[in-house]
Amino acid sequence: MLKKSQLARTAKKTNRTITFWLLVGSLSVFFPLYMTIMIAFKDPSQMSNSIAGILAFPKSWSFDNFQQAMAITDFWHTLSNSILITGATMIVAVIFHSLIGYAIGRSMQKRGYRLLYLYIISGMFVPFAIIMMPIVKQTAMLGIDNRFGVVLLYSIFYLPMNLMLYTGYLKNIPLSLEEAAAIDGASTFKTFWSVIFPLMKPMHATVAVLTALGTWNDVMLPLVLLSGTGQNTLPIAQLNFQSQFGTNYNLAFASYLLALIPMLIIYIIGQKQIIKGVVNGAIK
Amino acid sequence: MKDKLNSNRSRTFLAITIPIVILFFVFNTMAVIQGFGYSLTNFKGFGGYDFVGLRNYIDLFSDERIINSYIFTFGFAIICTILVNIISLVLALGLSSKIRAQGALRAIYFLPNILGGLVIGYVFNFFFTYILPGIGEAINSGALSNSLLASPKTAWFALVITVAWQAVALNTLIYISGLQTVPEDVYEAGAIDGAVGFKKFKNITFPLIMPFFTINMVLCMKNFLMVFDQVVSLTGGGPARSTESISFLIYSGGLSGGAFGYQSANAVIFFVVIVTISIFQLRFLNSKEEQL
Amino acid sequence: MKKYLSASICLTLAMSVLSGCSSSQDIAGKTTIELVTYKMEAVDLFNEFAREFNEENPDLNLVIEAPKDATTVIKTRLIKDDAPDMIGIGGDSTFSILVDTGVLGDISDYSGLDDIKESFLEIDKKLEPVPKTGVYALPYVANASGILFNKRIFAQYGWEIPDTWDGLINLCETIQAAGLAPFTFGHKDSWTTLAPWNALAVSMTSPDLFTRVSLGQDKFSNHYGDIALKQKQLLEYSGNDPFAYGYNDACTAFAKGLAAMYPIGSYAIPQILSVNPDLEIGSFVLPANNDPKTNILNSGIDLQFSVMEDSKVKEECYRVLEFFQRNENIQRYINEQISVPCKQGEFELNESLTHMKDYIDANLLSDYPDHHYPSEMGADALIQTYLVTGDLKKFLDTFDKDWIRFNQDNIRKLLEYEENH
Repeated sequence: MLKKSQLARTAKKTNRTITFWLLVGSLSVFFPLYMTIMIAFKDPSQMSNSIAGILAFPKSWSFDNFQQAMAITDFWHTLSNSILITGATMIVAVIFHSLIGYAIGRSMQKRGYRLLYLYIISGMFVPFAIIMMPIVKQTAMLGIDNRFGVVLLYSIFYLPMNLMLYTGYLKNIPLSLEEAAAIDGASTFKTFWSVIFPLMKPMHATVAVLTALGTWNDVMLPLVLLSGTGQNTLPIAQLNFQSQFGTNYNLAFASYLLALIPMLIIYIIGQKQIIKGVVNGAIK
Repeated sequence: MKDKLNSNRSRTFLAITIPIVILFFVFNTMAVIQGFGYSLTNFKGFGGYDFVGLRNYIDLFSDERIINSYIFTFGFAIICTILVNIISLVLALGLSSKIRAQGALRAIYFLPNILGGLVIGYVFNFFFTYILPGIGEAINSGALSNSLLASPKTAWFALVITVAWQAVALNTLIYISGLQTVPEDVYEAGAIDGAVGFKKFKNITFPLIMPFFTINMVLCMKNFLMVFDQVVSLTGGGPARSTESISFLIYSGGLSGGAFGYQSANAVIFFVVIVTISIFQLRFLNSKEEQL
Repeated sequence: MKKYLSASICLTLAMSVLSGCSSSQDIAGKTTIELVTYKMEAVDLFNEFAREFNEENPDLNLVIEAPKDATTVIKTRLIKDDAPDMIGIGGDSTFSILVDTGVLGDISDYSGLDDIKESFLEIDKKLEPVPKTGVYALPYVANASGILFNKRIFAQYGWEIPDTWDGLINLCETIQAAGLAPFTFGHKDSWTTLAPWNALAVSMTSPDLFTRVSLGQDKFSNHYGDIALKQKQLLEYSGNDPFAYGYNDACTAFAKGLAAMYPIGSYAIPQILSVNPDLEIGSFVLPANNDPKTNILNSGIDLQFSVMEDSKVKEECYRVLEFFQRNENIQRYINEQISVPCKQGEFELNESLTHMKDYIDANLLSDYPDHHYPSEMGADALIQTYLVTGDLKKFLDTFDKDWIRFNQDNIRKLLEYEENH
């Protein structure tokens, strides 16, 4: 009995050693970001060849690199492309994927729908590399090798994962709720919008976070679909203008920092929701 | 009355399902079929082409570059998976214990996950080219003063570090939520039986978080086998083709290189491999889970 | 229902915004000519050209694009059946593929071809995997690849330009003894390994080697071993780890005077000068052999224009070509990009090219061998692999094997052609 109370006491006490080592470890997270910031704010003449010189605080914080990088990568246009594509995909995912998740999830007693479900889920195993080249041809033929096409394709590629998430979640929502609404004379659509859709809220957050993270940072699809159209997303702009940075690493890092900042800001504001969303998605 | 309601409901469901399934079929399944079609030709992507039967497939198996890229990709994925899972588990155990600023620390460790792999690759590129050799020189370490990216013997390791830096974040989080499912009194009971330290972890904690281990293994393997962004920005497949991942090879050979048909065949093989591994992995890990 | 409606309206709106901004830039009453060029570094000059051309030709609207990785862009656009009217690329393996697939138009009825130096038209002819009738590109400017050197350092120590291989090695020893780095390399970017490779290969192999190998009469392994060994020997005189830094870093190192010489093409000069505008750069032919008479210049077509087969404005494209080909415009281009014109006539060459000019005037030049290697073969990576591992036998075997693998369709066509002619 004595043992147990001792145990409880040690458990309550915060463990300083572990806290210390975790703090030390977190430097490995900060270091690349610290390096990025230090280089981005210096001008090339301050980049002495020693690493101490590279990593030291800049003598004067210069915003010239940022101005130049913004001009080279057409930052505001690129940023708005990224926001448009990610935002639109997110909206499509939440509205349409939840709708189809509902339709399929509530029809699972039928064999056809079960097969259909497996068919779509199996799409998760299709590596983008295999459909990359046909997709280039198809989208061009249909005239959607543009931002609309990118959104459409994302909506299709994220369907398997989101369908799984929504149908999984749907199992927790009792059928009786819908039946009550239906008896009141509401159409299936109306039942969905007024009863089911609001109840799926926690899953909407997960789907939105996962879809947004995936599309925001994606390189391959915009790379093959938007190349040469003058429409860049933030990552693609870094790739496309890499050679224009030359050896001016300060300029390059200013541009990298600009590309990272939007996500950093969003993360600082909504880290709880993001973490929760990602964990929910992975575990389901 | 109920029948009528039901049939109305089925019709609506059908009306929702059909268009989306058609879209899915066109841009996913049809694309796969089309890719298979191209793999039987010597198509360059434009202009004329001939049907060449299985020639591309036969060539694939004798093409050292292709074989090497498979060896590299698998080696990379396995090492990365092991490394990431070990680090994540340790971090998760630490972050789940009674520590100060637990929330903030968790948020910090998750940060790399939200950043884009391509840009992170560029940042690490600079780190491996200038900072690390600089540190190596400062401490007079011969091995460190050469850039890891300059040698085919070490470049893969730089890629592992870069990818792992980001991947650890998500895996840690998944393990943390796994650890949360372990009720406190299980430990207390275990502690009375003398299970502490590593023994406690091995006999009590790990079996209980086995499902989360499964999730992490599957997630890791799948993501690492498809590694692309970091290859582009960190090594470009070099030096000496030592870091060409399969996805990178399909892109660079098929779209930039003009071997559209040939790389389509490569993509078909890759697809088959991914499906096989996914099924195998799920089966194997599921059966293991049931045993426990 | 209302919620649903408003959501879908929002969606439609978002979609229309997303798909808007189409790339067609038609202006009423004007014919648009679209040119995609891979000379991204000359984009400002091209924009000036376009502006002047459009002022002169009120009925036309010339649009010039110079995207990054333009050859991939051009190929992707061809895959999409959305080719521009004209393209400006190098005389390289991309040109080879495009000619072969028949997407380039025959411009033999264009009168300006008569002014082009014969040797450059021949270079293009040799790039056709299977000989065709017709002309498919207008060579515009050429570049040369050899060794760039720091004039000031050379003058300070009184070093002379070597004209034999042994002379070059001796010079390297001398430079090293003086405590300087003879060379800088940017071999982290695998394509830079092709610069010394090409410069050595032109003097050590004959240009018909490719055809002979394709016809099964010869093998690369009979000739490429010596080239590989010499290239590896050059690495011993590198001032840094040759594989740790990329092209940009090497240009910067050379510009800052960290190395006396840099084996790279003249195309690197503008980039080097952008780092250090005061640097005095000289260049000389890489002396691959010990008999100076057998050493020739590695020179190829850096930029040439083709009209696409499917273009509906061929006549208008010719007017663009005429404009580009005016002597004053060529002079402007070669001043800025430091290259050699393919047109006959007197032009002022940049000082750093003077030593090479003699070879050009005497027609002692040969095209870049890598322009004949199919790009999916990745010859640059093969060479880089050899330089890193030093496995010569494997390199030579792979080279012969990959050549046949990636050329099998061309070889078949070539054999058919040989039978019929």
